[in-house]
Amino acid sequence: MSQAEKVRIVGALEKGLDHIDQMLVAGKGDLELDFGACTFISVDGLEWLEELLLRSESHKAQIRFVNLQPAQYKVMKVAHIDSLMRACGAPGKDASAPMC
Amino acid sequence: MTVTSTEQEKALNDRANHLMRQARLAAAVFTQYSQEQVDKIVRAMTAAAIENAVKLAKMAHEETRMGLTEDKVLKNLVASEFLYHQIKDKKTVGIIREFPELNIVEVAEPMGVILALAPVTNPTSTIIFKSICAAKTRNSIVFSAHLMAAESSNTTAKILYEAALAAGAPKGFITWVEKSSRLRRLSELMMHHPEVDLIFATGGTNMVTAAYSSGKPALGVGSGNTPVYVHKSANVPSAAMEIIVSKTFDNGTECPSEQTLVIDREVSEEIMHEFRRNGCYLCSEEEVQKVADVVISHTGGMNYKLVGQPANLILEQAGIPADRHYKMILCPLSGDLRHHKLAVEKLMPVLGYVFVDSVEEGINRALDINYAGGTGHTAGIFAEDDSVVERFADAINAGRIIVNSPTSIGGLGGVYNHLNTTLSFGCGTGGGNITTDNVGIKNLINYKRVPRRRNYVISFQTTKNIYINPGSIEHLKSLKCQSAFIITSRSANRRGHLAMVTERLPQDCHVEVFSDIGSDPEFSTIERAVAMMRHSKPDTVIALGGGSVLDAAKIIRLFYDYPELKIQDLAVNFLDFHHRMIEFPTDMKTQLVAIPTTSGTGSEVTPFAVLKDGHRKISLIDESLMPNVAIIDAHLTRSLPPDITADTAFDALTHSLESLVSTFSSDYTDGLALEAFRLIYEALPEVLKNPNNVLHRHKLHNAATLAGMAIGNASVGVNHALAHALGARFDIPHGRANAVFLLSTIEYNARIPSKFVSIPCYPLWVADRKYARAAQFIGLRDEEGGGGENDEGSRARLIVALRRAIYDLGRMAKIPLSISELGISPEDLEKAMPELVETAFNDMSVRTNPSYTLAPEIVQLFISSYPPRQRP
Repeated sequence: MSQAEKVRIVGALEKGLDHIDQMLVAGKGDLELDFGACTFISVDGLEWLEELLLRSESHKAQIRFVNLQPAQYKVMKVAHIDSLMRACGAPGKDASAPMC
Repeated sequence: MTVTSTEQEKALNDRANHLMRQARLAAAVFTQYSQEQVDKIVRAMTAAAIENAVKLAKMAHEETRMGLTEDKVLKNLVASEFLYHQIKDKKTVGIIREFPELNIVEVAEPMGVILALAPVTNPTSTIIFKSICAAKTRNSIVFSAHLMAAESSNTTAKILYEAALAAGAPKGFITWVEKSSRLRRLSELMMHHPEVDLIFATGGTNMVTAAYSSGKPALGVGSGNTPVYVHKSANVPSAAMEIIVSKTFDNGTECPSEQTLVIDREVSEEIMHEFRRNGCYLCSEEEVQKVADVVISHTGGMNYKLVGQPANLILEQAGIPADRHYKMILCPLSGDLRHHKLAVEKLMPVLGYVFVDSVEEGINRALDINYAGGTGHTAGIFAEDDSVVERFADAINAGRIIVNSPTSIGGLGGVYNHLNTTLSFGCGTGGGNITTDNVGIKNLINYKRVPRRRNYVISFQTTKNIYINPGSIEHLKSLKCQSAFIITSRSANRRGHLAMVTERLPQDCHVEVFSDIGSDPEFSTIERAVAMMRHSKPDTVIALGGGSVLDAAKIIRLFYDYPELKIQDLAVNFLDFHHRMIEFPTDMKTQLVAIPTTSGTGSEVTPFAVLKDGHRKISLIDESLMPNVAIIDAHLTRSLPPDITADTAFDALTHSLESLVSTFSSDYTDGLALEAFRLIYEALPEVLKNPNNVLHRHKLHNAATLAGMAIGNASVGVNHALAHALGARFDIPHGRANAVFLLSTIEYNARIPSKFVSIPCYPLWVADRKYARAAQFIGLRDEEGGGGENDEGSRARLIVALRRAIYDLGRMAKIPLSISELGISPEDLEKAMPELVETAFNDMSVRTNPSYTLAPEIVQLFISSYPPRQRP
């Protein structure tokens, strides 16, 4: 991931972002989505992120989410979508199962 | 084409997964919403519900054929307008409650995904209510309606969802199961779905039981069977009308509605007249049987075909001709109420009644109904006599006991009273539920409690009037007292102390003397002294002697002033002074003057008193034990022998060092402890060299009092616990017992503890720094010139220097510094060890030690204190 293309998500992520879709299609390689300036993620935004991760697999590209603010990181946590958590660097579902 | 059951099951699973995924994502997104955003959504949903109240009521009635459209409109409005009024200003996001006095705030956390089951009797109003509550609490909600009411229920959900979405709610936060023949199976699948966080079940017993059996957290309701007691003090015409209003509301489909009336015979004629006059049908005994046969099925439950049906239809079905419209049917329930077929829930306008002859009988019959399938749900009473209402409420087990109002609409809350508006009635454990609440938004929030650290307030107290300097005993001449009771030891007379006191007391003061206090007195001695005081009735107690005398006098005064007290009650151990269970008197009646003749315990300024009880010592601690006056006159210590001078001085020295490092120490006690330590360190050698030198005696005497003030507020530590145990077991004077442990306990306490003490007033372990400070305070220096207490290496060297100085002082004073030096054999110590360890571990002194002293460490301290001491 050291050569990943860096993209900032600014403001509310309420739908898919075309320019990022295009970067993936254009085969620009791995992507690093910087959520440092992201203030809100909607249901559509979540679904787009999940699809983006799914599509990245067919493009043999890795996508990583970085700098998530706590409010948006919590959205990822509560959404229970394993691929989103892995993009945040967390271990897979099995590893985060309740311990007691 | 045929569809296999496996394919059907898979399709249902897919459908359940789809619904739950929508709800899950919405719940995740909802966590980001602010209170303002939430309130905007709730407002829009409420407006939509009000706008569609009539349309939805009509739909519900047409679909279910139950109840009355007009009343269903009212229910829809209660579930929207009334609910909104109650919750609009409630905080449900972020900090929702603050308790400044407790330093605690509550922060809201949504529950997540709620699976909501809705009933056939209140389909639209329940959906309105639960949707608005879910939005207000930022939860997503998936509805599974009753099959017979699915169309109206789902239409309601859709209307509210669209309004919410337009106001900015997360997509998919309300979803619903479409009506189909597989609706019930899909509901079952969803109850076990991993994405469901809470099941909110309102409806029939089977459905609620299924929800509870799912293993998920569930908010359920119990079944109702509402008794209503009409007491003779009631406003009877009004009671009759309210009961009619309630029981006919939506044709009796409300589960809190009246099921059986229990009526005082004195008002029976009047109320039956009112019922008849207002259009109710009063059944004869024969007709009751006919009604029961159609209303109650052969299995004993209500006939669901008649739920919510009008009275005339029920009469017709029962074969009772009705010549006009009747509002409801009243049935006298004769015989044993507990076995009557109609003494159960009847969600239709059929109401049982019995007459009673007393309040007791009234409450008992109400209990018969209450415990016949409606425990925990609802009860009602009409009475102007508040004491009857209280007795009724105390006896009946119901989550809502409605007074002088209709139980159905009253139970809904917000209309006739200030109960929370609800369509879901918690019944507590009586109904198999976790709550008796009118379930609402407060039950749909996870409450996160954020307690800030307690600001631990510690006070500083000491004897109010302290007279110091040699010759201060002259103060006795101006003492206000008419009858003095002097408590002292036999030696006081021999040493001339008693005469010094009696000669100075006012001429007209009656004096009696009790001089039987030996060292470490038992409680029997206290009792003898108290008995003697009962005869002389003194207004002043004068304690003249060493620590044992002063301690005994404190207890004697306490039991003289308060003879009803029991020593075993007062000696209960405690962890924290502020939370202890025992209570001492707050106001002492007799004045206590303490005149110490040794320079050791500092008892003249402490709230402590120690008493011997067999092989153990009992400590009493309370402000009420504090003397009113202390006279610190070093002349009284001049005749003290060197060995006792040294023993008592080492007691005071131990007080100074233990209070310095105590977990309850403060800037106030530190100053006293350090100065006391310095005075002892400097004065003791001089006193021992020249016992008659009053100046040095005076310094030593002051030191003991200063150290007493320090321990009176900061307490002591493990050294005292060990000394109490050893002293009681082997009859060792207290100061001497302290001295044998001191070098070991300083070494122990100066090490980083193996277990830290958990006490809020001690946020940082600083014992080693304080020992280093004490060393510097008496002029010791780090031989390597380090940075003092702030330098770890220097601290260690200063602590060694401190222990060395104490060793040198002990040797100079010829005081034993180890257990073996007391002449105790290793065998005797070993034999006593279990008892010593247990006693020391249970001693309250260890509670304020800077290290949490574990039992093996206590053993180690006894062992390390045994061999003859070598200079550190």
